[in-house]
Amino acid sequence: MKDRLSIKFGGESGQGINSLGKFVSKALKETGYHTFAYREYPSIIRGGFASYQIDFSSVEVLSPSEKTNILVCIDKEALEKYLFNVYGRGVIFHSVKDFRLSQQAEKYVKENKIKIVYIDTLAISEKEKAPKIMGNMVMLGSIWKVLGLDIKVLQKVVIDFFIQKEGIDLEAEKRCLLAGFNLDEIKDDILEGLPKLKDNKWGKSIVITGNQAIALGAISVGCRAYYAYPMTPATSILEVLGNTYQKTGILVKQAESEITAVQMVMGSMYMGCRAFTATSGGGFDLMTESISCSAMTEIPLVIVLGQRAGPGTGVPTWTGGSDLNVALYSGHGEFPRCVISVSDASDSYTLIQDAFNISEKYQIPVILLTEKHIAESIFNLSSLPKAKEITRGLVKDGRQRYLYTKSGVSPRWIPKAGTTTYLTNSDEHNQEGISTEDEQDIVNMSEKRMRKLIALKKEIPQPKYYGPKNPTIVFVGMGSTKNAVLDAMKLSKKKIGFLHYQYIYPFKGERIIQFAKEKVKIVLIENNQSNGLGKLIKSESNFYISNTINKFDGRPFFVDDILEYLKQ
Amino acid sequence: MKVDLNNYNTNEKYTWCPGCGDYNIHMALKKALVDLEKHPSEVVMSFDIGCNGNGGDKIEGFRVKGLHGRAIPFAVGCHLANRKMTVIADIGDGGCLHEGIDHLIHAIRSNYDLTVLIHNNENFALTTGQITSTTKKGKDMYGFPDGKTEGDINIGELVLSLNPSFYAKGYSNDPMQLTEIIKSGIKHKGFSVIEIIQICPTYNPENSAVILNSKISKVDVTDDIGIARKRITSKDKIYTGVIYQNKKIKDYYSLLKNRKNRNTELVNEVKSYGVSNILNDID
Repeated sequence: MKDRLSIKFGGESGQGINSLGKFVSKALKETGYHTFAYREYPSIIRGGFASYQIDFSSVEVLSPSEKTNILVCIDKEALEKYLFNVYGRGVIFHSVKDFRLSQQAEKYVKENKIKIVYIDTLAISEKEKAPKIMGNMVMLGSIWKVLGLDIKVLQKVVIDFFIQKEGIDLEAEKRCLLAGFNLDEIKDDILEGLPKLKDNKWGKSIVITGNQAIALGAISVGCRAYYAYPMTPATSILEVLGNTYQKTGILVKQAESEITAVQMVMGSMYMGCRAFTATSGGGFDLMTESISCSAMTEIPLVIVLGQRAGPGTGVPTWTGGSDLNVALYSGHGEFPRCVISVSDASDSYTLIQDAFNISEKYQIPVILLTEKHIAESIFNLSSLPKAKEITRGLVKDGRQRYLYTKSGVSPRWIPKAGTTTYLTNSDEHNQEGISTEDEQDIVNMSEKRMRKLIALKKEIPQPKYYGPKNPTIVFVGMGSTKNAVLDAMKLSKKKIGFLHYQYIYPFKGERIIQFAKEKVKIVLIENNQSNGLGKLIKSESNFYISNTINKFDGRPFFVDDILEYLKQ
Repeated sequence: MKVDLNNYNTNEKYTWCPGCGDYNIHMALKKALVDLEKHPSEVVMSFDIGCNGNGGDKIEGFRVKGLHGRAIPFAVGCHLANRKMTVIADIGDGGCLHEGIDHLIHAIRSNYDLTVLIHNNENFALTTGQITSTTKKGKDMYGFPDGKTEGDINIGELVLSLNPSFYAKGYSNDPMQLTEIIKSGIKHKGFSVIEIIQICPTYNPENSAVILNSKISKVDVTDDIGIARKRITSKDKIYTGVIYQNKKIKDYYSLLKNRKNRNTELVNEVKSYGVSNILNDID
């Protein structure tokens, strides 16, 4: 792929793969490249493979490539596995002593003209009187050398990181880094066969994961309490909010279950605080009764649903996009809700803000969908988008909490001393909140609640179109599928477009119908097996998209997947 | 604000059975709040589903009738958001010991500063008399003519095993004592568990006032957990009053270091915040 390089670190989980990846990712960013980092790891603490892949370019990179140009492995098993994940003319660096290629591997390496460089990092770190683990630094130095980049940048990144840690021999870290950088056997021309990058021009930028962006977005929009139960890939939101709570003053509570967490959120939201919770499929299932209750009581509720692969426990640390159905249809009874889907770090930051505003203004549950691939991948942004203003739709005081209104939105005021008290009721109720079984009350109140969707539908934006004016193919999708298609656009000669759904429900179908009328080929792209979005489009717009591209192997769409599809 | 019982009365019709313990429990709750000079707008009540929850419209205040079993975590969310409000969770033995027993256990160990009233009538009454973990052995109940197969839960034993800061036992036929107990519970800075022996003439007539009156013995508060344990395991007597109180255990919120030196409540802090200083920590 032109103007784009990929470097992948592979090893046993627990060997420091993450740190290596972070250092390189950050240092590449500092030298002015645009980066995207993608992590794969098993749901175990020690053993098994983990990888950290960084795609970088002089232009924006939003998605990972399927294979890598440079593979760095510090473990035998990882090397044996990832060896086949190297593009033709790629280079493998490894530190596995006496490594012998299998017959199959030898064939692959030969056919694809892959170079293999062994570095005895252990011996070098020993020579530098450094502990074994600093062999990683030797490796890092060597990689940096072949990339032809300024060692001072990398050195600063490494020192900035270790200086905060206790009991680290900083001088030894530096010695190992330089020893790797100055190795004789590392020649500048080793990467000759790889794609050339244009000048690095991105300049100052930030690296941030989707979950970090969600946490920051929540802080910015006045969220003051976070209640959650740990579950991948939502857990790292707790990490960010917890590790920053001394500064922010936010109350962070690890609840005893997802049910507790969501009920605590509702309690705090009822009182006029902004609070939210985040979870993944299984935990979300436990919250669904509360979603129904939130809609009925008209207590605002914000839930982040981080999708991973599979039903049951599934494949806990891998990605997917198969939970739109529960976001849309979970909870008993008929009630209004809003479903929004993020696609990257930038909109993770802004859409959580929207989620709070919509939830409070319309007094409905809002489900913000993300994916492991967005939540934990590291995006590179020039800066955070402008924060949204807070809109809450509160009144100072009122009389009837469930007053019938044209918009369906009744006056909501914060419970506090001196204001009119009211009954908030999950039983069907009249305008005063008193339980009712009267048939007319039931109809009136059900219609009042549902009317909110009409106003909300008007307020939310149309799906965003990316691409040329007269495309020949338009992909329609949500979540991280956007990123792979946008990256493919830069590499393909075809006139392709992408229609990106961020606001999923209430659903806006006008633009798809418009493309259909223009006889453009429409392709549904979904990170699942059964086309949740496609079914929503069919039910809401009566338009069936027969061309689909699906992936449900726990992996995100790689840019290669799209390019491959376009070849057909 | 000056308050009297009228501030707490509503015009809603009572729907409890004649002789139901809930009448007196409600009266005691209202009286306690009046005695403490709490205006209804300073009180949040989180009601569970069941006969007790049907009292949500018969008392003034900011009342929430939510989900079965979840009155406690909802109340916790309310309390943490605004500690200026008096928060009470009102729940039956079904919701508290069955659907939501985890919430009771974790709320005790967390010691949130709020009060929970457990209406213990020894059955699921609103669904017409099913077995709970406090139903007497051998008693013919809905769908189970042979009685309960499972064992019991003694609420007092459960609570005292969790290093609580406040556990009291009241009796619906002694609203004066119950009023004082509820007042002590609300004043206590920590998680106050108040179990209330509730008369249920419809589904638990065996537990009649005549029998209960003969067994009940009133006690004063103790901070000795050994004495408290004896009080709740006695076979002949039912001890009522504040069974146990430990003022040394700090409440959850006051232990949060990041909330120290902050004079506002979370509800007062909802505004836009710049995040650049945090971004630097993450980057």
